[in-house]
Amino acid sequence: MPLHPISYLLPDDFDLQQLKSSFKESHGLREEVPSKLKLTYYDSFDWRVWNAGGELHEEQGSLNRLCWHSIKGRKEPLVQVIDQSPGFVKDLPAGALADQLASVLEMRVLQPKVHVIQQQQTLALLDSEEKTVVRVVLEQNSYASIDGKQSGRLEGRIVLKPLKGYLSYFEKIVEYLKTMKLRNCGQSLYQDALQGAGIKPGDYSSKLNYRLDPYASADVTARQIMLDLLNTLEANVAGTKADLDSEFLHDLRVATRRTRSAMSQIKGVFDPQQLEPFKRGFGWIGQVTGPTRDLDVYLLKYDQYRASLPEALQGDLDPFYSYLLNHHKTEQAKLVKKLNSPHFRKLVKTWREWLEESRADQENAPNASKATAKLADKRISKLYARVLKDGLAIGPDSPAEMLHELRKDCKKLRYMMEFFQSLYPKPAIRELIKAVKVILDNLGEFQDLEVQAHSLEDFGSEMLKEGAPASALMAMGVLVGRLFERQANAREEFANLFAAFSSEGNQKAFRKLFGGA
Amino acid sequence: MHILGVYNIKGGVGKTATAVNLAHLAATEGYRTLIWDLDPQAAATYYFRIKPKVKGSNKRLIKGKLDLDEVVKATDFENLDMLPADFSYRNMDLRLEEAKNPTKQLLKLLRPLSQAYDYVFLDCPPSISLVSENIFRAAEGLLLPLIPTTLSLRTYRQLLDFLEGHRITGLELMPFFSMVDRRKRMHLDVMKSLPDEHGELLKAQIPYASDVEKMGIHRMPVQAFAPKSVAASCYQALWLEMQRRLG
Repeated sequence: MPLHPISYLLPDDFDLQQLKSSFKESHGLREEVPSKLKLTYYDSFDWRVWNAGGELHEEQGSLNRLCWHSIKGRKEPLVQVIDQSPGFVKDLPAGALADQLASVLEMRVLQPKVHVIQQQQTLALLDSEEKTVVRVVLEQNSYASIDGKQSGRLEGRIVLKPLKGYLSYFEKIVEYLKTMKLRNCGQSLYQDALQGAGIKPGDYSSKLNYRLDPYASADVTARQIMLDLLNTLEANVAGTKADLDSEFLHDLRVATRRTRSAMSQIKGVFDPQQLEPFKRGFGWIGQVTGPTRDLDVYLLKYDQYRASLPEALQGDLDPFYSYLLNHHKTEQAKLVKKLNSPHFRKLVKTWREWLEESRADQENAPNASKATAKLADKRISKLYARVLKDGLAIGPDSPAEMLHELRKDCKKLRYMMEFFQSLYPKPAIRELIKAVKVILDNLGEFQDLEVQAHSLEDFGSEMLKEGAPASALMAMGVLVGRLFERQANAREEFANLFAAFSSEGNQKAFRKLFGGA
Repeated sequence: MHILGVYNIKGGVGKTATAVNLAHLAATEGYRTLIWDLDPQAAATYYFRIKPKVKGSNKRLIKGKLDLDEVVKATDFENLDMLPADFSYRNMDLRLEEAKNPTKQLLKLLRPLSQAYDYVFLDCPPSISLVSENIFRAAEGLLLPLIPTTLSLRTYRQLLDFLEGHRITGLELMPFFSMVDRRKRMHLDVMKSLPDEHGELLKAQIPYASDVEKMGIHRMPVQAFAPKSVAASCYQALWLEMQRRLG
């Protein structure tokens, strides 16, 4: 049963002397030298630590330490001494904290969110052997934003820290403090500091989570969805340009893809002529961001690639890694130019203005004033019927193109279900989105492995021109073989997965939720 | 979780000081560390100002009725917990005799703690007994403080024979010189000749130093009251070399 510190607010007029004297009467008391600590709280751009119920801070003292506190689940904190500020998990010393973070952060980099400057004094309460049995820490805290523009005082705190095996002492002190009428801290120091700096934890998420009004006219809803996607896209531009981690570009591209899907699938709500230049513009964003993302994917998969080879060949693959890094640098520089170009900036700006201002007339946009829920039902059941028809037409000997086409349909279906999910009962819609995802994962695997295998062949011939050793190409050859094997497995799995997806029960569930054929 | 025994057949060789200082260094570096005082003399427990008393002691411990986690005590140092000694440990051998699988009891007890600690240091009683055999079978490595005298070498060889005789393999042996007094001729001679015969010998040495003795007065690890002392830097070197050896 792990014990947890209890924090109380420390009013400015609190009589500390009286507290110390009463501790002296009841226990031995050692007043430790007051110390000043700087805490920097970290999380990924999309708040993965926070969403996992954790708080992560770097403590700069005589040793720099990284500490993970679980808010939920009340687990013991994890602590790791570090010699540089945290960034990617792979650069942290191995240990329990790195393991914990690896599962939470994956490929994301840690960024500082807020600083806390803490003046603290520890009162160690001692037993007859002069052994510490409870720690009482008096804290004066202030916060500072990362850019240094905002700072201010936070309420003082008095923190009771239990020691394992000395629970009864701790309980007595808790009882004693109750008589002092101290108020428990309603939130953690981190939350206090974020609040001070005006930051809302979880303020960015790449997930779609709209609250839609089923009776709102469809064009209003479409604008709401597209504006939100645009916010996501813009939120990721700076991180993409700085190449902080691969997920900024990924989220930017997903927002682009979803926007294009929304443009084409939420039909008849805008004037097609006015929409056309934006469709082209977003197509262009998809194009110019592609090469860097492809290389990101290979770099992310590299360790997995390496591990899939026989041990004797693993080292031979390393020139491929250098090749990827070099080309990534080149492509990233090109990408930054494109994102800094007037063309991109103007596109994003005019798209926002157009979404906020323009109104289509009935003639060019027959569905604009239709109720959102009606339009969603109609489009989703239509897309579902198409997926069903195309999927059932695929047999063991069908060409790969048919699976690629099906994947595109499934993607459209999934995006539409996600856009409009708030209109449907939560458990039911989630279940069906999950069912589509299972098929999409399989089709994605099937297509990605093929693309990867062919790309590796192309990379190989380029590497040869750049003077890479033959051994690297041999290793890549083995890797290509592995990828094709896995692709064949994915193809084999498809039939079973689609049979489950198109089962009578599933079809009923779709019809029940979206009506339709 | 790394389980390390600090052991010598003889007493008074700086064994407890080694366990206490290494455990403290591990904890200072952020490793979650546990020191288990298995010696009924309870010196390690005394250094940490903890009362040498375990609720239910070894009777329940060996019968599997006691969760080690229930009897762990936090020391005054962050990340460093202790399983205190208990006078009844002097009878542990008898208890072990009664158990099934008497040479693997300790390992069984430690297993549930593997998620909670990165390092466990076992401060062993000075003898060759069922308790020590349990330690040999539970530990990944043994730190063996040797006073550089001919008699110490003899006991070290006795240990090697014992391990071989009981087919205890895969145990990383880390003998090192302890309580070294460079004014003594014999110490110098032994230190010169031993490395040739025993490649496993660590290079770090702990001198005979008053700071180590003062641990009993301050009741804390050397690093905590004399961080700049020679003794503290010698333990630091020993800690680093031990980590390298464990890989």
